[in-house]
Amino acid sequence: MKDIKLPMSESDARSLKLGEMITVSGLLFTGRSRFHIRAIEDDLFPPIDYRAINCFFHVGPVMKQQENGEWSVVSCEPTSSIRFERYGADVIRKFQLRTLIGKTTMGPRTAEALREVGGVYLSKIGLSGNALRGQVKKVHDVYFLDELGKTECTWIYEVDHFGPFFVAMDAEGNNYFEQLSRETASRMPEIEKKLDIPAGYDYTEVNG
Amino acid sequence: MIRRETITEAMYNAIRLGATKMPPDIRQALQRALAEETEPMARKHLEVSLQNADLSEKGNGLVCADTGFPMFFIHAGAKTLLEGGFNVLRECAEKAVARATAECFLRPTMVNPITRKNPGNNVGPGMPKIDLTFDLPGDTLEILAAPKGGGSEIFGTFYRMMFPADGMAGIKKFVIECIKDACYAGKVCPPAIIGVGIGGTADVCMGMAKKAALLRPVGKHHPDPEVAALETELYEAARSLGIGPMGSRGINAVLAVNIDIAVTHTAALPVAFNAQCLVGRRWRALIAADGTIQYTGELE
Repeated sequence: MKDIKLPMSESDARSLKLGEMITVSGLLFTGRSRFHIRAIEDDLFPPIDYRAINCFFHVGPVMKQQENGEWSVVSCEPTSSIRFERYGADVIRKFQLRTLIGKTTMGPRTAEALREVGGVYLSKIGLSGNALRGQVKKVHDVYFLDELGKTECTWIYEVDHFGPFFVAMDAEGNNYFEQLSRETASRMPEIEKKLDIPAGYDYTEVNG
Repeated sequence: MIRRETITEAMYNAIRLGATKMPPDIRQALQRALAEETEPMARKHLEVSLQNADLSEKGNGLVCADTGFPMFFIHAGAKTLLEGGFNVLRECAEKAVARATAECFLRPTMVNPITRKNPGNNVGPGMPKIDLTFDLPGDTLEILAAPKGGGSEIFGTFYRMMFPADGMAGIKKFVIECIKDACYAGKVCPPAIIGVGIGGTADVCMGMAKKAALLRPVGKHHPDPEVAALETELYEAARSLGIGPMGSRGINAVLAVNIDIAVTHTAALPVAFNAQCLVGRRWRALIAADGTIQYTGELE
C-alpha cells in the first residue's frame, strides 16, 4: 500500500486512482462545521502555514488532557464530510488544499475545486478511530479550544502511516460513490417491481 | 427502595460499557455479513470495524468516537420504589452523563441549536433523553443506555404522512428509498439496523421507528406475522440494492428491518424511518429492589 508524504504534491495527488487504498504521513489539521462556516463567512481561521500543513482531516476527536498538560487522542473517527458541501469548495480554494480526509464523500462543487487545485478526497475504511489514534505520533498544537471546545476546534496532528483510507474523489473530478449510486439507481425498477410497486407510482400530492 | 447513587452508578456504567463494547448480537451479525461479502472493499470495512471494537474492548478507545445523543430507555414496575421518587431519574441521568463525558467515555457533542454553544458535558434542555415505561411485573428498574451516533440519526431519519390510497406500495417505496438514501456513501454507517414505524401520530410513529431500530435484538421479528412478512420482504429488497458496508459495493446495507405499528386515524397513513449504525451501541443495567446491579449487552 502506498504511503503518501504530507503535504501532498500535485503529482502525487494526480497519480492516485479512484478506489485506491493509501496511508499518509506528515502534518494535518482538523476541523468540522464550525471551521468551514467561520473560515468563509467570517474570514476567521487558525493562523497556520497552509502550504506546510495542507491536509484537512474532517473529525471531532475525543481528546484527553494529561496531568502534565499535554493532549492525547482517545479516539478519532472521521466525520461525515458531505455536511460541509456548502463551503467545501471555498475552503479548498482559499487554502489550496490537496488532501481532505473524512467519511462519506462530497458533492460536485467540491469535486470541481479538487480538480482545479489538484487534490483528492480520502474516505475512511470501516470504523477505525482506535487504530488511527495510535498513528497520531504527536499533537502539535490546538486553536480555538476555549471558543469552540474539544470537538469543533482545530488540532494539529503529526501522523505516521495514517489510515488506510480510499480515494473517494480523485483529482480529475470523479466520485467513487456517485458511480456506485448510478449502479443502484439502475437496479431500482426491478426491486420496485418485486415489491409490487406499480411503475410510475407516486404518493398522493396534497400541496398546491 | 432503590437509592439515587445506585441509579446514577448503573446509568454511568451502562454508558461506559455501551461506549466501549459491541453488543454480542451485533458482533455476530457483522461476522455473518463478513462471511457473505466477496468485494474486497466491503470485507475491509467490516474487518477494520470489528478490529476497532476489539481494541476498545481491550481498553483502547471507544467503539466509535461519535458517542452522539445520550439516551436512556427505562422500564419500571408498578411496585418499583426509587429514593426521592421517579423525579430523580433526570438528576441521576445528568450526573451519569456529565461524569462519563468528563472521563472521555462520551465526547462533548451536545450543543445549543441556536447559539451552537457547547456546555462540554452533554447536558442541556431535552438531553439526556429519558424514555420511561411502566411495564415490568415487579419492583425492579431496567435502564438501557444508548449513546446514538450522529451519522445514523442525522442521515437516517425520515417521516412521511401518506394517505390510505397510497397503500402498501407507498410504505414499501418510502422504506426502500430511505434505505438507499441513508446508506449512500456510508452516511448512516451501514450495515444499518432499520427501524420503521407505521401508524399513530407523528411522534408516536417516529418513537416506534427509533425503538424498533435501537431496542430489538438482531434477528427478532414482530410478533404479528403480517408485519414480520413485510420486514422480511423489505430486508431482502435492501440486500439487492448493491450497497454493502459503509456504502461500498456489496450485499449488507442492513442487518435487519424492524417494523412496529400503532393504530392511526382512518384518514392517515404515517410512516417513520430511523436507522441505527453498525455498532448498535447500547448496554443495559438491571437493578433489583435490593440495589444489586447486573449489566448486559443482550436485549430481550
